[in-house]
Amino acid sequence: MSTTNANPANAPRVSGLFKSQEGIVLILAFVAFVAFSLLLPSFFSAGNLLTLVRSVSILGILALGMAIVVIGRGIDVSMIATMVVSVSWAFVLARSGYSLEVSLVIGALFALCAGVAIGILVAFGEVPPIFATLAAGSVIYGLGRTFFFQLEMQNVPPGHEWFSLFGQARILGIPITVVTFGVLCILIHFLLSRTRFGWQVYAMGNNPEAARITGVPSRPMILAQYAVSAFVAYGAGLILASSASAINARLFNSTMIYDILLVVVLGGIGLNGGHGKVRNVVLGTIFVGILLNGMTILNIDYTIQNLVKGVVLLLAIVIDSLVNPRDEQTSQQGDL
Amino acid sequence: MTTVVEFRNATKEFRGNPAVRNVDFALKQGEVHALVGENGAGKSTLTKVLAGLYPLTSGQMLMDGRPAYFASPAEAMEAGVAMVFQETNLIPSMNVAQNIFLGDESFFNRLRGINIKAQQHLQRLNFHVEPTALVSSLGAAKKQMVEIARAVHHNARIFIFDEPTATLTPEEKEHFFALVDRLKGEGASIIFISHALEEALSHADRISVLRDGELIVTDDTANFTRETIVQAMVGRQLTDELYGNAATLRTPRAPGEKVLALENVSMGKAVRSATLSVFAGQVTGLFGLVGAGRTEMMKIAAGVLKRDFFHGGRIRLHGEPVRFRVPRQAVTRGIAYITEDRKVDGLFDTMGIAQNIFLGKLVQGSNPLSVVSMTEARENAAQWIKSLNVRSISDTSRVVELSGGNQQKVVIAKSLIQEPSIIIFDEPTRGVDVGAIAEIHQIIEALADAGAAVVVISSYLPEVLNLSDRILVARQGRIVEEMTVDEATEEKIMYAAVH
Repeated sequence: MSTTNANPANAPRVSGLFKSQEGIVLILAFVAFVAFSLLLPSFFSAGNLLTLVRSVSILGILALGMAIVVIGRGIDVSMIATMVVSVSWAFVLARSGYSLEVSLVIGALFALCAGVAIGILVAFGEVPPIFATLAAGSVIYGLGRTFFFQLEMQNVPPGHEWFSLFGQARILGIPITVVTFGVLCILIHFLLSRTRFGWQVYAMGNNPEAARITGVPSRPMILAQYAVSAFVAYGAGLILASSASAINARLFNSTMIYDILLVVVLGGIGLNGGHGKVRNVVLGTIFVGILLNGMTILNIDYTIQNLVKGVVLLLAIVIDSLVNPRDEQTSQQGDL
Repeated sequence: MTTVVEFRNATKEFRGNPAVRNVDFALKQGEVHALVGENGAGKSTLTKVLAGLYPLTSGQMLMDGRPAYFASPAEAMEAGVAMVFQETNLIPSMNVAQNIFLGDESFFNRLRGINIKAQQHLQRLNFHVEPTALVSSLGAAKKQMVEIARAVHHNARIFIFDEPTATLTPEEKEHFFALVDRLKGEGASIIFISHALEEALSHADRISVLRDGELIVTDDTANFTRETIVQAMVGRQLTDELYGNAATLRTPRAPGEKVLALENVSMGKAVRSATLSVFAGQVTGLFGLVGAGRTEMMKIAAGVLKRDFFHGGRIRLHGEPVRFRVPRQAVTRGIAYITEDRKVDGLFDTMGIAQNIFLGKLVQGSNPLSVVSMTEARENAAQWIKSLNVRSISDTSRVVELSGGNQQKVVIAKSLIQEPSIIIFDEPTRGVDVGAIAEIHQIIEALADAGAAVVVISSYLPEVLNLSDRILVARQGRIVEEMTVDEATEEKIMYAAVH
């Protein structure tokens, strides 16, 4: 009995792996990892793997914030703007005489205000999230460059050892950046899967109008989602600044926001909301990390790297729509 | 008469579930053929195969005796098959002429030229529609005319009408059937799907009855009576217990406290100074034709829509004036609105049954960080799954996999778990199988017996008469007639709704 059952039980699991987007990405990540390890001698070294994990952790943290908004059927392309402006401003304040602690709190408050302002635009102004955050990102960055700081590069104010520890120290040999990413994964996993907030986010992503009629406080929920993503962006900015000893406002003009979206979409969090879990973010982070690191070691031109990322993103979206087709029956059931 | 279309042993499956099974069906030249059957009997599926929307899983489709296969609606159109849907496929922002010539424009178009051509075309068909009118400004019947004119323009000779009369007023219906006769006179073959058996009996040449995807009987109309059709449709004599003369047998419940009152409520053009009251412990039936503003009135009461800010009237809940900006405020005050379209705003379709139901309870709390679990959800939902008799493999089955009736029960349970005191059912049995209709009616009765104020919006007269203690009739955004069930008749209600 058990021997006859063994095969049919295994078969769907393996084919299921190939069918879900998660499975495909997992396999691709594994293939890429093995290929780079074999082909590039410098890839599979402790030093490089550590750099890989650390650099990708920041991307992962940002993607966690993005994931919450995307699951709730929104998108936040202002994350980088919020990140660079709030952190840069905190550093400028710290240089101008405030203590670093107070400055950091002010920076956090600024990030929160930015998130809430975007939330108000989306929830009360009923502006589509993509436009609201795109415009708000430019406004935040513009405000920052005009009123808060002039230099693109803001160094961490000197004389605060603890702040650089934050991005450079290790716990049991693991960089704090990575630890933070891990802890944040657990926290956000709990938030999404085990709290009222999380369930309501899924409900809103799944069917916003049904959620509203059922009595989900849609508007406060939207404010909260964007506030959380802005706050996460601020946290990621601090870690980034601490490990690099500075923050560069030019990140706003980089492709970082698309890398975040790449992580989210590639991991399998559908852009139409209501799907996906933290493990999808982790998966996407690992795959993108391996890809970016491998290409950097191969010394591939930056433009080509972007091309590769673009192609991978397109493939991910195409595969997603092939694997999970919009069935004619699910889109218009009602009457057979 | 020659046969223009023939299905031989046709089967169409969706994910392994047959929607149409081994059907042999023939449509003759110049006949009006009515397809009748319950929801889910396979009428729409069969005709959609003919219109090129779905391919057959197995079996054959013949046109003029030759095997035919349409990969797309465009190919079917090319072959002369036109399907007119219940919701018309016109483009609302374009005018009538542009719609008629849609997909058939030359490279350069002059609006005036198209208008003139459309005018000639419409005149030849003897349709009274202004070619320059915007489609969005037309009524349901006129939209149908445009749709038919478009089909004729594309040289269609087989017309399929899916529930053509559902949204029409009695005069418009007469108009429609005159049209059908004219098309038939020109040699076209017509299939029409209808729930109204009287229409099939008085206008069709032949009638086919489908049940559970199988063709039960096809015969000349003369050989059918209302009773024999119903019997073929349900396979058992169920209609009597469902929509029998229960209304006249029972005495209406006495009204309790006046819990909800709309006073001169207005919202744009949809609701114009509507005044109505809802009492506890009874069922208030709200009847009206499509476009009468029934749904909008109740959505305003439930906070889903907002009434006009100026001169928007007044809403009283237990005598106290209220203005709900969001549905949540209404939900916390014990008003539940159960949607007419569960696909659009009722279900969370990728979630399980238990999770769907539990969300109703979940939203009642306010602390966003309080911990919830699947176990808690299942425990809470279990009682409702049982009392509403939701049938599924497990309570974590996704709701998309359920039948219409079970989905409706899930939506109802999601609202009832909130323990509301005013429950608004909007078309509670739309797209629901016969067995579940009876169960949903029982739920509604039980709620009223338990002292809740229940409002049932329905377009189906027997349902209104069967369920309600008090009947309100809406027309053009206001309540025009109020009667108790013992003084109501189908004729009286219909008269109020259309005049």
